[in-house]
Amino acid sequence: MFEFRPIINALLRAKSGAILLLMQIAITTAIVSNAAFIINDRIAYLEQETGLPEQDLFQFNMMIFGKNIDLAKQIEVDESLLRSIPGVIDAVYINAVPLSGGGSGGSYNLLPSNEKSPSINASYFRADSHVLNTLGVELVAGRDLNESDVMVTSDVSELPKVALVTQAMHDEMFPQGSGLGKTIYRRDNAIKIVGIIKLLKGPWLQDERRDRSLIFPQVRPSSFQKFLIRTEPNERAAVMRRIEDVLLAEYPDRVIDVIKGLDQLKAEYVAEDTLMVRMLMVLITVLVLITALGIFGLTLFNINKRLKQIGTRRALGARKSAIIRYFLVENTLICSVGVVLGSAGALWMGAKLMALFSLPSLSVSYVIVTGAFVILMSLFAVIGPAKRAADISPSIATRSI
Amino acid sequence: MLNMNGISKVYQTEMVQTHALRDFDLQVNEGEFIAVTGPSGSGKTTFLNIAGVLEPFTQGQYLLDGVDIGKLNDNQRADIRNQKIGYIFQGFNLIPDLNLYENVEVPLRYRGIKAAERKRRIESSLEQVGLASRAKHLPQQLSGGQQQRVAIARALAGKPRFLLADEPTGNLDSLMARQVMELLEQINRDGATIVMVTHDPELARRAPRNIQVVDGQIADFSLYQGNPAAVVGA
Ligand SMILES: Nc1ncnc2c1ncn2[C@@H]1O[C@H](COP(=O)(O)OP(=O)(O)OP(=O)(O)O)[C@@H](O)[C@H]1O
Ligand SMILES: [Mg+2]
Repeated sequence: MFEFRPIINALLRAKSGAILLLMQIAITTAIVSNAAFIINDRIAYLEQETGLPEQDLFQFNMMIFGKNIDLAKQIEVDESLLRSIPGVIDAVYINAVPLSGGGSGGSYNLLPSNEKSPSINASYFRADSHVLNTLGVELVAGRDLNESDVMVTSDVSELPKVALVTQAMHDEMFPQGSGLGKTIYRRDNAIKIVGIIKLLKGPWLQDERRDRSLIFPQVRPSSFQKFLIRTEPNERAAVMRRIEDVLLAEYPDRVIDVIKGLDQLKAEYVAEDTLMVRMLMVLITVLVLITALGIFGLTLFNINKRLKQIGTRRALGARKSAIIRYFLVENTLICSVGVVLGSAGALWMGAKLMALFSLPSLSVSYVIVTGAFVILMSLFAVIGPAKRAADISPSIATRSI
Repeated sequence: MLNMNGISKVYQTEMVQTHALRDFDLQVNEGEFIAVTGPSGSGKTTFLNIAGVLEPFTQGQYLLDGVDIGKLNDNQRADIRNQKIGYIFQGFNLIPDLNLYENVEVPLRYRGIKAAERKRRIESSLEQVGLASRAKHLPQQLSGGQQQRVAIARALAGKPRFLLADEPTGNLDSLMARQVMELLEQINRDGATIVMVTHDPELARRAPRNIQVVDGQIADFSLYQGNPAAVVGA
């Protein structure tokens, strides 16, 4: 009924056209499955949960001038000014902004530096007790920072006695049991963990520290300042427009810039990945289209080359459905071999990519799905030409020489 | 067996209408061997294609074995071709990428015959045309006469009762032509009805019944025998 054997025999005797198609299918399968895998991996990265209400947060930088200005006092004044703007939920003076690509980090141990203990790298934020509310992140254990925790100092070596840590940081330092209330060390400074944050992505999404952060209740006054503000939903744009006027009215000798939403900062940080995803998607689409066109064209070419043969088959009693089936079977045979070769190629390519670009290893399910998709696509590409072939009149058998 | 009544065939192209057959009447009885002759373009192939259910006709009635061909759908027509009719073409029409065995197998597969029975039939019909030993060869490895014999084997394997041949010897030299003719005569003696179009008057004379198609109609044979010029001039 499906004529497998004669079709295979005929293909083996007239290989050239089939081999070209087969190679195209194999290459498409190999590239598309890897590209699809990378796209998926990148999309998961781009769409990862940050724990932050990115749409409601924004930051700005400020440079403040004036010899006689009391920076600590001015920061407090500015903070309360910002917090009083209608639409603002909370605002803090902060050393670094999550997702922005810029921040600070350090290493932390379970024991002071004169005793040996494993160290964990993490990023840290410094801000006053409004920080948790400003970030809009969730506390899962312990307590929030309060005003009495906050240490205002310009001394770089001084660290506050308490901190909040993220769950990921906590789990790294205390794989067994709870670390809440326990002490960790930054060099010889003891820091007590008073609260655990469910999820807070740090400044660097691409870094191993992305989930590991501490928040110190500390204000270190400087004339180069950074503020983070959270607004009510949909109020952000309006607040962002007012910032400069409000602050300059309070104290004019300062320059404000980089007023940017967190979503925008994140988009800038991941721009390269976004571009790669788009390019890979274009590549996949183009490849699939070219392959589909190739199958379509080759089938048309085969039909035109075999007009008389098709007419003869019809004259010998082939129904239209038998002609359509012939081309579908022939094409599927070629594509299946191509997909098998392509799958092997995909796994090989995946291993190479993994070694070269430290990508995660290609999962076999991508190869299987891509292979099935390529075969399905080839069936769609061949059905039109095959129907045309079936419409060839049997009288072609006698009419053409 | 074959009964055509007032068959006409019009080919319609953008520019012209060609009346390839006009009011064509013919009766063929079981077991006959008929040679069809006539000038080029007179409608012989058209007649054969309609008789072989390869082409639809414009008007008239065609009964084959009592079946009204004009009333059949495409699948039924394919099945009639497959089961009742064997074709032999001027150009042999073997499938170049299939070996002789597989070529003969083509119509048997369309009929859904089981592999063992197919093998038996293919071997016996290749035997009958004297090419059993070359079953694994490809068509292009054979001479024209041999290829035509394979085509005949293919037509015979389905055991058709009705064999149609359009200039089966047109591409062959006279020796091979005679061999093919002898084969056809043998097949006819075995019971098949044969209609053969030929340009070769010598071959035509060997057939028990001759008809001549002129200008899309059957010419009056007695008139032709009496005064050939009368027909040619028509
Ligand atoms: N598909 C077609 N479209 C248009 N006209 C056609 C078609 N097939 C045949 N004809 C015309 O029909 C007429 C009969 O053609 P046919 O092939 O039956 O002649 P023939 O007797 O077989 O000629 P020959 O001896 O040269 O093979 C011719 O005028 C031919 O040009
Ligand atoms: Mg002809």
